[in-house]
Amino acid sequence: MKTDNEKNPTSNNAPIICLSNITKRFGKTTAVDAVDLSVMPQEKVVIIGPSGSGKSTLLRAVNILEEIDEGTIVFEGKSVGYVEKKGKRVLDSQKNICALRAEIGMVFQHFYLFPHMTVLENIMEGPVTVQGKSREEAHIIAEDMLEKVGLSEKRDVFPATLSGGQKQRVAIARALAMKPKIMLFDEPTSALDPELVGEVFNTIKSLADEGMTMIIVTHQMGFAREIADRVIFMEKGRFITEAPPVEFFGSCMTNTRVASFVDSIL
Amino acid sequence: MLYSRQTKARQFMRSKIRRGFLLFIWLVLLALPSAALAEGPTQPDQLFRDASNLISAGDYETALEVLDRIPAPGGTDSAADFIKSRVQKAQLYHALAMFDEADASCHEVLALFPDNIEATNLLDSLAKAKKPKWLLFIDDMKLFLPSLIQGAGITLFLVVITMVISPIGGLLIALGRISGVPPLRWLSWFIIWFFRGTPLLLQLFFIYYGLPSLGVTLSPTTSAIIGLGINYSAYLAEIIRAGIESIDSGQMEAAKAIGMTYTQAMRRVIVPQTYKRLMPPVGNEFIALIKDTALVSTIAMVELMRSANQMFNTYFNVNVLIIAAMIYLLFTTVFTVTFETIEKRVGAYENR
Ligand SMILES: Nc1ncnc2c1ncn2[C@@H]1O[C@H](COP(=O)(O)OP(=O)(O)OP(=O)(O)O)[C@@H](O)[C@H]1O
Ligand SMILES: [Mg+2]
Repeated sequence: MKTDNEKNPTSNNAPIICLSNITKRFGKTTAVDAVDLSVMPQEKVVIIGPSGSGKSTLLRAVNILEEIDEGTIVFEGKSVGYVEKKGKRVLDSQKNICALRAEIGMVFQHFYLFPHMTVLENIMEGPVTVQGKSREEAHIIAEDMLEKVGLSEKRDVFPATLSGGQKQRVAIARALAMKPKIMLFDEPTSALDPELVGEVFNTIKSLADEGMTMIIVTHQMGFAREIADRVIFMEKGRFITEAPPVEFFGSCMTNTRVASFVDSIL
Repeated sequence: MLYSRQTKARQFMRSKIRRGFLLFIWLVLLALPSAALAEGPTQPDQLFRDASNLISAGDYETALEVLDRIPAPGGTDSAADFIKSRVQKAQLYHALAMFDEADASCHEVLALFPDNIEATNLLDSLAKAKKPKWLLFIDDMKLFLPSLIQGAGITLFLVVITMVISPIGGLLIALGRISGVPPLRWLSWFIIWFFRGTPLLLQLFFIYYGLPSLGVTLSPTTSAIIGLGINYSAYLAEIIRAGIESIDSGQMEAAKAIGMTYTQAMRRVIVPQTYKRLMPPVGNEFIALIKDTALVSTIAMVELMRSANQMFNTYFNVNVLIIAAMIYLLFTTVFTVTFETIEKRVGAYENR
């Protein structure tokens, strides 16, 4: 599973991202405890686990929204996020961190669309402000992304008028507009009414089918079954089990903790 | 001790009684000759006395008749008595709001003594009294408005300049307050602490009168702009900081997640969302600002309050103050309405 092949990032065997020994503490609680994870290009990793097990913290550590206490993050063969300074590990420059984040898309449970911008402006914001693209170019990209998530007719409305499902699809389009190399989803459907889960799921599924690399945190076992190449069960900051979905929902159910968690969700 | 006090009291009483007695004797002596002289009904003194008695009794009509009996000057009849009687008549008519009769009475005097000051003045005030109140107010407006408008111009200038400076200063101080750099945080905290914690008047005095002793001499206008600018920046800073902190932290996360720097996230995502929330409290501050500009009158700036004060000291006419109040109200009303309109416009995305 773990690979040390960091010399040839273009190779298909090289992971897009390689996390090792990631540890994050909040005071006395260790939210993420020495986790290793590498994700290959086009791979879809689904992380499940009980509340407070450190799934969000791990995801946020990937794009440095959370500063980790130990561990290294290697993105496309390059160590990112932290640098050695006088023998101490410190955060990399803002410029480098922003450049990294621009290549990693993230979708939140609560969407966090920018309420003062129209749908189209929300999607154009990244390309224009971060990538310095012209408004015309960004406009074309934004229209494209909106079409991809099936919301072209909503381009000029403000987010306040959208349903939860539509908001999340716009949030996905906003992340996609940056042409990310990998997408992180943190419980993308948990804040939605049950009847709206489907449309967001389908959007993510079609993205997966196009070959996008993804790490998805979710409580939807259907997601895990349909999309995942690998399902990881996380508890108390550690990976307990990781396996392809067939195996995970089959033989892994002998693990009582995994089984009881999956049962509690279903 | 006790004894002497009693004695003193007794002496005091005695002297009082003696003085009262003397006064009584005096009155009797005075009354005797005047009673003897009161024989002739045409005696002007008596007539004036009668008239004044009648007036205090409320019988104005008879009083007017009595005064009328004082004859025109000629022979032994004195001009002074005539003038006095007619002027008194005019005043009485004036008090009764019978302006035409009052006028006539004045003209009686002026016909014989065209230079008489009393009658002329009375005629002037009658002319004013005959005018409706609002017309008089218009007259005062014509008199006072030019200087008041000049002062109001200065007031407006200070308000607008401060309205431009203080949101910028306030935003910078607010960003300092929430910044990750401790010295910036301390400096911002200190500025807010100092300028909100001391009177604006004191700050203005210090800048205009105090700084010269430190070798910095500033014009009244510069001092006023600096004083108002910093003071209002400090007030707005706390409002803006509260506004920024009221925005869901997820907004900053989302902005960072697409690769924005802190500055980009603030400028493009966080700060614009505070505008609607900031409008009511900032509007309040600016209304207060309009009135606070009156304080710069103490550092030799002739703004609205100062020019009103100057006019009032010259004319002692309360209408100056009323007109000044009207100008202030005009300003505050226009600003209130403007802010309410902007607030609705800025926050439109929340209910569209
Ligand atoms: N900013 C924070 N400050 C302090 N503790 C935190 C913070 N963020 C997370 N934690 C703690 O870290 C642990 C892991 O939290 P995390 O949000 O990663 O869990 P999760 O698996 O995403 O849970 P959920 O399914 O509820 O989203 C929890 O115990 C949580 O209380
Ligand atoms: Mg979570």
